[in-house]
Amino acid sequence: MNDLPNRARSISSLRDFLELLEDSGQAITWSDPVMPEPGVRNIAVAASRDANGAPAIVFDNITGYPGKRLAVGVHGSWDNIALLLGRPKGTTIRELFFEIAGRWGDQEAQISFVPEAQAPVHECRLEQDINLYDVLPVYRINEYDGGFYIGKASVASRDPLDPDNFGKQNVGIYRLQIQGPDSFTLMTIPSHDMGRQIMAAEREGVPLKIAVMLGNHPGLAVFAATPIGYEESEYSYASAMMGAPIRLTKSGNGIDILADSEIVIEAELQLGERELEGPFGEFPGSYSGVRKAPIFKVTAVSHRRDPIFENIYIGRGWTEHDTLIGLHTSAPIYAQLRQSFPEVTAVNALYQHGLTGIISVKNRMAGFAKTVALRALSTPHGVMYLKNLIMVDADVDPFDLNQVMWALSTRTRADDIIVLPNMPAVPIDPSAVIPGKGHRLIIDATSYLPPDPVGEAHLVTPPTGDEIDALSKRIREMQLGALS
Amino acid sequence: MTTTVCGRCKSSGAVTDHQGRQDGAVVWTILRCPTCNFSWRDSEPARAIDPAARSVDFAVDADDLQRYPKILQQ
Repeated sequence: MNDLPNRARSISSLRDFLELLEDSGQAITWSDPVMPEPGVRNIAVAASRDANGAPAIVFDNITGYPGKRLAVGVHGSWDNIALLLGRPKGTTIRELFFEIAGRWGDQEAQISFVPEAQAPVHECRLEQDINLYDVLPVYRINEYDGGFYIGKASVASRDPLDPDNFGKQNVGIYRLQIQGPDSFTLMTIPSHDMGRQIMAAEREGVPLKIAVMLGNHPGLAVFAATPIGYEESEYSYASAMMGAPIRLTKSGNGIDILADSEIVIEAELQLGERELEGPFGEFPGSYSGVRKAPIFKVTAVSHRRDPIFENIYIGRGWTEHDTLIGLHTSAPIYAQLRQSFPEVTAVNALYQHGLTGIISVKNRMAGFAKTVALRALSTPHGVMYLKNLIMVDADVDPFDLNQVMWALSTRTRADDIIVLPNMPAVPIDPSAVIPGKGHRLIIDATSYLPPDPVGEAHLVTPPTGDEIDALSKRIREMQLGALS
Repeated sequence: MTTTVCGRCKSSGAVTDHQGRQDGAVVWTILRCPTCNFSWRDSEPARAIDPAARSVDFAVDADDLQRYPKILQQ
């Protein structure tokens, strides 16, 4: 398929993307009967073992949910991400990283508005006797989760103190636990946009209405999880990064939502109320604790005819969560670092949402990489997440862990590290000293430069570059061809 | 309200939120504990929902709900 870039730009919905994935051998339909627990989880976990090539799986025969469809693993492999970006299967992670990094700030957003009556998401509407369990084929994602979770919801909201400001609308992915037929809790932290908005609404006593979008344009699912500035619109950002138009409409409670999503749940914050939430098997691969979280009351549900409920398996990696957000965690850090330090050549923050990051840099002088590392800690994502940083030279590909290990083995002195004690930490990091506070580690695995008295060793220089990359691919293709 | 015991905090009084049907017959029921908010499906494996089989690491103490922290405090 040589029209992949055009086809990727023409995607406007989850359905479009599933069709593209299916045409490319990257989506399958699971029509054998399957129990919600543990069947769905088992199949999702088995699929996510193949980080490079796992297909999306659409279930259409879940016991007790006749006629309902569930999709998992839509962003569950690098091949699926490649197709979303208009690149062929087999594109390397490094190539995908530069594909995204190259789009940064490059394009104009193309936003169009569709009247509500013409928006597919409003084809069916429920305003009374709402039972989320009637609409969503939910299942327990990990066996000790506290309930049934919606794990891949893009939640849209307006700033409760500036509701007319388009840019201050927030779209973010938050975990939602269903709490009875028409309520759910939402987990967030004060530093996230939603956390700020909930606290502002409760402080001022003003309503906070939200729209929970499920089964979305696959670009939004990626970019709603990307840390961008508070006043930047995630819709504009997603459109610009996709180089494609995004169609919006209004939810019944007045929020801009994607016109082509499968399902939207409209809800209102119950000011000051908290309900027990959790545990939930989170991205570090461990369960969060039980906490009292804000609760929302559902006021209406809109959905397309025969909607597809899209969910995610998340837990101990590798999982869809890692491919969903990995590159889009890395690219903003890269772009932000290069504003100060153009010597930065790549950023790999794929691991556990960037709890470990590997940054390659052209070292200006001895110790320079540490300066870059400290700047990384002050990027929006770095403030909370970049716990372990490994700094490597520009001749090391941070996406090739064999090369990173070589740098650690040959260019690291045991005392050439920095430990920054008692720094902010994501509360669900299980290694934190106390939740929300922990230590940071910077390992300088770059080579020695003046004024360091130890010079660089005389390196072997094996052939590298496009020719070698092409040969690697050819060898792989010949190997696959030998099997068929 | 039922006399069903919550697998997590061992309180009784679970409420029924939904029943799944297949060819007209009920194949499972989703229940919710009003004390600790645990929700479960009665068709799940015992190690997730049966208080006798479930790991105590994930129990909730119904007599000490104050211990669980409240997020987003002003």
